[in-house]
Amino acid sequence: MSSPLLGEFLRSHGVTRRDFLQFCTTTAALMGLSSAMVPRVAAALAQARRPSVIWLPFQECTGCTESITRAHGSTLESLIFQGISLDYQHTLQAAAGDAAERARETAMQENWGRYLLIVDGSIPTGNKGFSTIAGRDNLSLLQEAARGAAAIVALGSCAAFGGIPGADPNPTGAVAVSAIVKDKPIINVSGCPPIPVVITGVLTQYLTFGKLPELDALGRPRSFYGQTIHDRCYRRPFYERGQFADSFDDEGARQGWCLYKLGCRGPTTHNACATVKWNDGTSFPIEAGHGCIGCSEPGFWDKGGFYQPLSTGQWGSARTLGTAVGVGTALGVASAALARRRQKDAEGA
Amino acid sequence: MTETTPTTREPDPLEFDKPRVSIRKPEHRFDSQGETPDASRVERAMNSFVRDFGRTAAVYMESCIHCGMCAEACHFYEVTQDPKYTPIWKLEPFKQAYKREYGPFAFVYRALNLKPKVTVDELQQWQHLLYDSCTVCGRCSLMCPMGIDIASLVSQARHGMFKAGLVPHELAAVTERARREGSPLGATPKVFADRCEWLSDEHDVEITIDKPRADVLCAMSSIEIMKYPESVVATARIMRHVGADWTFRLDGYEATNFGLLTGDAAAQKELTLKIVHAAVACGAKVVVLPECGHAYTALRWMGANMYGKPLPFRVLHIAEFLAEQVRTGKLRLRKLGKTVTFHDPCQLVRRGGAIEAPREVLQALGVELREMYPTKGANWCCGGGGGVVAIHRADELRHKVFKIKMEQIEETGAELPVTSCANCRQTFDDGQAHFKWDKTMHSLLELVADNLVEDAQ
Amino acid sequence: MNLLDFARGPALQWSLVIFVVGVLWRLLGVLLLRTRKDLSEPRQAAAWKGLRLIALRSWPRKEFLGGTAFGEVMGYAFHIGFLLTLFFYVPHVLFFADIARGLFGTDLHGLTGLHWPTLPNGVVTLLSAISIAALVAVLIHRIVNPVKRLISNFDDYFSWLVTIAPLATGMAAFAHLGGWPYERLLAVHLLSAELLLVWFPFGKLMHAFTIFVARGSTGMLFERKGASL
Repeated sequence: MSSPLLGEFLRSHGVTRRDFLQFCTTTAALMGLSSAMVPRVAAALAQARRPSVIWLPFQECTGCTESITRAHGSTLESLIFQGISLDYQHTLQAAAGDAAERARETAMQENWGRYLLIVDGSIPTGNKGFSTIAGRDNLSLLQEAARGAAAIVALGSCAAFGGIPGADPNPTGAVAVSAIVKDKPIINVSGCPPIPVVITGVLTQYLTFGKLPELDALGRPRSFYGQTIHDRCYRRPFYERGQFADSFDDEGARQGWCLYKLGCRGPTTHNACATVKWNDGTSFPIEAGHGCIGCSEPGFWDKGGFYQPLSTGQWGSARTLGTAVGVGTALGVASAALARRRQKDAEGA
Repeated sequence: MTETTPTTREPDPLEFDKPRVSIRKPEHRFDSQGETPDASRVERAMNSFVRDFGRTAAVYMESCIHCGMCAEACHFYEVTQDPKYTPIWKLEPFKQAYKREYGPFAFVYRALNLKPKVTVDELQQWQHLLYDSCTVCGRCSLMCPMGIDIASLVSQARHGMFKAGLVPHELAAVTERARREGSPLGATPKVFADRCEWLSDEHDVEITIDKPRADVLCAMSSIEIMKYPESVVATARIMRHVGADWTFRLDGYEATNFGLLTGDAAAQKELTLKIVHAAVACGAKVVVLPECGHAYTALRWMGANMYGKPLPFRVLHIAEFLAEQVRTGKLRLRKLGKTVTFHDPCQLVRRGGAIEAPREVLQALGVELREMYPTKGANWCCGGGGGVVAIHRADELRHKVFKIKMEQIEETGAELPVTSCANCRQTFDDGQAHFKWDKTMHSLLELVADNLVEDAQ
Repeated sequence: MNLLDFARGPALQWSLVIFVVGVLWRLLGVLLLRTRKDLSEPRQAAAWKGLRLIALRSWPRKEFLGGTAFGEVMGYAFHIGFLLTLFFYVPHVLFFADIARGLFGTDLHGLTGLHWPTLPNGVVTLLSAISIAALVAVLIHRIVNPVKRLISNFDDYFSWLVTIAPLATGMAAFAHLGGWPYERLLAVHLLSAELLLVWFPFGKLMHAFTIFVARGSTGMLFERKGASL
């Protein structure tokens, strides 16, 4: 193996020590580490070997790839990304056709048991022809690649939870990685798409400590998904005061009041948007005036309209309630009739 | 306390010559009647309870939230602070029976045995609560924040108790005797006729009996006939004074209705119909009831329902009759010039609605009326209603309750306590004797009769 | 399906169905029982005037006030706090607006043209706290007071539990207590409210409906006789 150390690689690409340390500080903070840990993170990162990474895209929209490769242009995050030995990513790599597939097979053989497998997109379990790469169906490709992986990163809500392909009525039988692979550690980096810093942060953590980050009940790194958008939202005080925008063009909206009544999913959505923000830390949806749609939560597409308030319950239809009224009435009438008959019997007795 | 019950009640274990009905040998009480196996006693109680049930009672049963506030209204709880006297608790076995036998979820309760079957032991225990310590005064019904008429439920429960043969000895005996002899206290038609003749001579007043046609049919209560015969005289005097076309009838003179108090619905109906038929027979336009609270409930409010159609005559309590005569100016009274306080008979005032009539009469007597506190609808019961005064084992408790009444009356500072119910009056007399109290309860009827302005003679 | 989805989906729908079925069953099962026509001559023909007892009995006669003041005050404190919180807390109003939207295709404003007022969160918090305090007080009273202890049964204690639960879980969700994620607190709050709905028709909570029938019936019966109300 001739992969150079990550530190050398970055220096050769013109990253100064100052920039590198700045990146390490930011990442450590995001991971919930104390500042005392920053030198250790830096040292570990600098000494890390570029691991082999195989990236398999299945039923996806390439939004996750866009998020990582374009959003931050030539920032450190993308460089870190280059810092890994990305041995297969059919959207990004220059090679095509047989050559590309050979590269993947070679990388897998050379790094069997050690490579990191990144998956974006969901896996169709219906007809094998729904999604194929070089003539191979997604399911068997995933199963084969997973066998030699040290760990799997399910990137984006499709790979993590089934996402939009898995939304009702789910024509392809799309499932999450975790539904197929049961014997390997899986890190769900959910979001549609996930925040770039979150992706690099997870990779950094993996490279630094050589182990998986602490995960929440849904397999997501706690350091990024531990709090809700609502918990850290700058509009939270308006919620507490009961000041809400009732429509997108009313006074409340102009005043920047809470978007809860307009369907904001902040209170139930775990992600780092409110702190890390998007587009190089510019803003996040709520700051732009739109409620959170909860894209990093399972089944976010099927939780009713995005503009229905969160307290919204599923009440069932008028018909269900009508049936209930009918049944209740029938039971009431029957029990009264029964009681009247008992009275008659008692009179006879 | 289950006793083997005698099939016959001979010799009669009651004595009627005492001031109150008495059991000849108090140690030989028979508080269960008939020779019925325990299981079928319970069944009879429940059947009867179920049979009586209608919408209103069921809504009451469904509405209790166990707030316990009714206890505050009950004189028996007030003087003992014993939680078992909480009015709604007196219905506990019947509440259970309702849930199990009759409520909308009855079959669920039965299937899962959520409410155990009521036992005969429980019913026997509850006899004390349903009879000895409830005068059906209905004060609790005014308290209940849910608006439950608890007193009406007690009456229904008594029907069940009667069917089960679990009625206190005295009540069972007097009811049985009332059906057999036409009067619970031995005032048989012959006794009544003799008394009237004797009173007529003694007091030099004409007492009309069995006039074939009369506008007004008067009735008396047994207590008056046997213990306060002056009331009979007073009635006759007043009727003559106002020039009424009136009569007593030997086939319907007895207004006392122990069927109502005991829970014997058949007896109640039988006794009521006697008066109704007598009134119809003489073409009476008005039946004037005596100074008796429960007689008013029995005929004024339940009579038509027993008869099966509206009554073809008006029913007035004597106090209402007197008030009407005052209003028309036919009743002319001497001014009494005394201070008086009026004890509200529960069945007449709180539950019967004749709240102002006795007060109008008192006003006509020119007395200074000093109301008790509380008064009218919220006034305290004397403790003897609902048949309680007849039950000897309840005496101790009843005397405790009576203290409330004495305090109330003392506080008014009035010279003369007056009421318009012979049963209350009897309870006061007994209380007065027991406590050696210096106040004697007076009858409004007699007070009026004693102060008639007889200008013609 | 996570807990919140369950609470907002099937649990909500089923609890609502059980509530509707149970309430109608119990109410009709009683209201359709036979009545006997009262043949006695009324003292006052307009017996319906006795319906005023429905309002009148909301406060005891002065003669009874002494012994019942505690129960009355606590009862009012609890009911006012509970009902104002239930109907005027912003998220609750949104929740109910959604019933209207779900069932009638328009919200309450569209349906009635009225604006449903809401209370500031601070006020609602205070009201809920008062309500909880009153409930705790009446529970203690139920255990300590001999009358209430004697006449109490499972229904009384269980109904208390399912009544205080939504208040307590709602406060916890509002204050983010216990370090639980908001969505779990919200789910527990919803589930506790659903438990209340499910238990409602089967226990004494039904008095919310029967109180009007019981007071109304008694009022009319008594008014007819001219008896004291």
